Amino acid sequence: MAGLIKDITAHRDLLSMLVARNIKIRYKESALGFLWTLLGPVFLILIYAFFMKVVMKFPIPMPVLVSGIFVWQYLAMCLGDSSFAIIGNANLVKKACFPRLLLPLSIVLANFVNFLLSLLVMAVYLLIVGPHFGAIAWLPLALITHLALCTGVSLGLCALNVFLRDVQHLTGIFTMAWFFLTPVVYDISMITPITQQHPFLGPLYFMNPMAGILSLYRTALLGSPLPDLSLIAISLLVTTLVFVSGVLIFQKLQPRFADEL
Amino acid sequence: MSDIAIQVEGVSKRFRLRSAGGNTLKALVMDRFRSGADTSRELWALKDVSFTVEKGTTLGLIGANGAGKSTLLALLAGTMMPTEGRLKTHGTISSLLELGAGFHPDLTGRENVFLAGAIMGLTREQVNRRFDAIVEFADIGRFIDQPVKHYSSGMYVRLGFAVAVEVDPDVLLVDEVLAVGDASFQRKCLRRMAEFREQKKTMLIISHDLNTIQTVSDQILFLDHGRVLGHGAPSQVIGQYETFSRDQVSSDRRREWGTREVILTGAQFLNEAGQETTRVTWGEALTIRLHYEAKTPVGPSVFGYSISDEQGRLVHGNNTQIEKVSIPSLSGRGTLVLKLPSLNLAKGTYLFSFSVHSADHQVNYHRLDHAFAIGVEATKSFEGLCYMPCEWKLE
Repeated sequence: MAGLIKDITAHRDLLSMLVARNIKIRYKESALGFLWTLLGPVFLILIYAFFMKVVMKFPIPMPVLVSGIFVWQYLAMCLGDSSFAIIGNANLVKKACFPRLLLPLSIVLANFVNFLLSLLVMAVYLLIVGPHFGAIAWLPLALITHLALCTGVSLGLCALNVFLRDVQHLTGIFTMAWFFLTPVVYDISMITPITQQHPFLGPLYFMNPMAGILSLYRTALLGSPLPDLSLIAISLLVTTLVFVSGVLIFQKLQPRFADEL
Repeated sequence: MSDIAIQVEGVSKRFRLRSAGGNTLKALVMDRFRSGADTSRELWALKDVSFTVEKGTTLGLIGANGAGKSTLLALLAGTMMPTEGRLKTHGTISSLLELGAGFHPDLTGRENVFLAGAIMGLTREQVNRRFDAIVEFADIGRFIDQPVKHYSSGMYVRLGFAVAVEVDPDVLLVDEVLAVGDASFQRKCLRRMAEFREQKKTMLIISHDLNTIQTVSDQILFLDHGRVLGHGAPSQVIGQYETFSRDQVSSDRRREWGTREVILTGAQFLNEAGQETTRVTWGEALTIRLHYEAKTPVGPSVFGYSISDEQGRLVHGNNTQIEKVSIPSLSGRGTLVLKLPSLNLAKGTYLFSFSVHSADHQVNYHRLDHAFAIGVEATKSFEGLCYMPCEWKLE
């Protein structure tokens, strides 16, 4: 792991250029450019708001829905892009020698930059609609955990997809399931009654790291009550496991990338 | 030892061949169901390859397609790992495995130069310092701020080459990049590579252009099916390779048929000095002694010969009937002498065919098609396969 960090710092210029490249080419030749980073979630929010609030009369406050979709969008972008991090750069992997980890990492970081910008826009929205910010001190922890989770998942997926192209198809289905297991379009308070009835369900639910991460975001940005810290700790622990296994899977498989492409 | 730049010890590289399904779950499951250790699904691109390259040496790699040359460079560049054995390289390496490999079509030339430089291990600052030299070498002027997808293929490879050589490595790996680009670009590349040699840098070059590789290399490594068949002085190893590939060509295209009442038992090719040879020089005389054996006596017969190029295209053909040489009957063993006073063929490899049939063309006794491969060296360069004696005169 220490060697890996050294490798990455030695190539930090390359990493920053790859991040810049990924940001640039995503919106190249589109009239609205970066605005699409915002328009995507905005349309999603409008769709969910219409169906949940108008059609289904589901009592979800707009700030909860907005924060849920924006935060979820970062992971969803990483899941969508990462399958192609290696196979989409086959030529580079076969013809040039550099730490392969930079390819998925640069995608995760480019999406992170987009996410931070969209967070700014969301902050403006929250100021306009009025509710006070919450315990903002939780925000850095939320961001770091979120980033670690996206990195771990992306590394694992892009490496596995080199050997099994089924991964990219499974990812779509998996993302959908994960979306509903995460309190994106509902609030964590809605499942608290259930977890109080069945105490084992709480830890189980928070084994989805996004449950803890999204709770942290909402505590920081909306002032929602923080769930039990032991539950948050479970999410953080699982995130650490995902991150470490993502790196290990990637490093184990990467010497064979060029052979398979 | 400090004067060794590259050391390769017993290196082998195995590729696993996937079934047509490719990298999918179905293919994986199907592969598992078939026998476990299925060696037909393996390909050894390199097998027990060992050699060393001293600092300042240019090593040329030659061999047919699939010989393992590119795999060897990929291993040295570090993009692939050997299955067995060890490779050691000393100093920084820059590889021209493909020109402009790191370029993204939507980025401008300028952005791509920085990106490609960073991929080769330069910092932004280092690329900055070399930027002007790169643009000048590539000679693309104001196009540098255009997306590279609008470049002509020539501009694209010029920029790719410029970045790679400006990295200024200790060891440069070059894979068949001289085949791209126009003549003036190729001259520029060769000049740049000559500078490299003067600076006592180490180079490994793959090229199918034997003339070029002979002039730029200090040593040649000849690979075939992943094994080293020759390593040494350029002229000697290239000669060995040419003989090898000529035999390969004629064995690929060789065909033989006939009623076999008369058989052609062999042909000897003699140069002007009367020595047997498979290499002749343009304009020299070639004598062919064609041996036959008539198993059963036959009546009036005709012997013919033809010359084809490597692709099997007929260049010239002739027979005894056309030349009005009468052969009323054949019996027992004999030899027919064919003399070509001046071989007017362009440089290349040619396949000789011989035949013997009845004078009325009704019975084919024996035909040997594309059976003998002869290499022709040309001191004169001209267009086409054949030379037509000519005189130019200004009036």
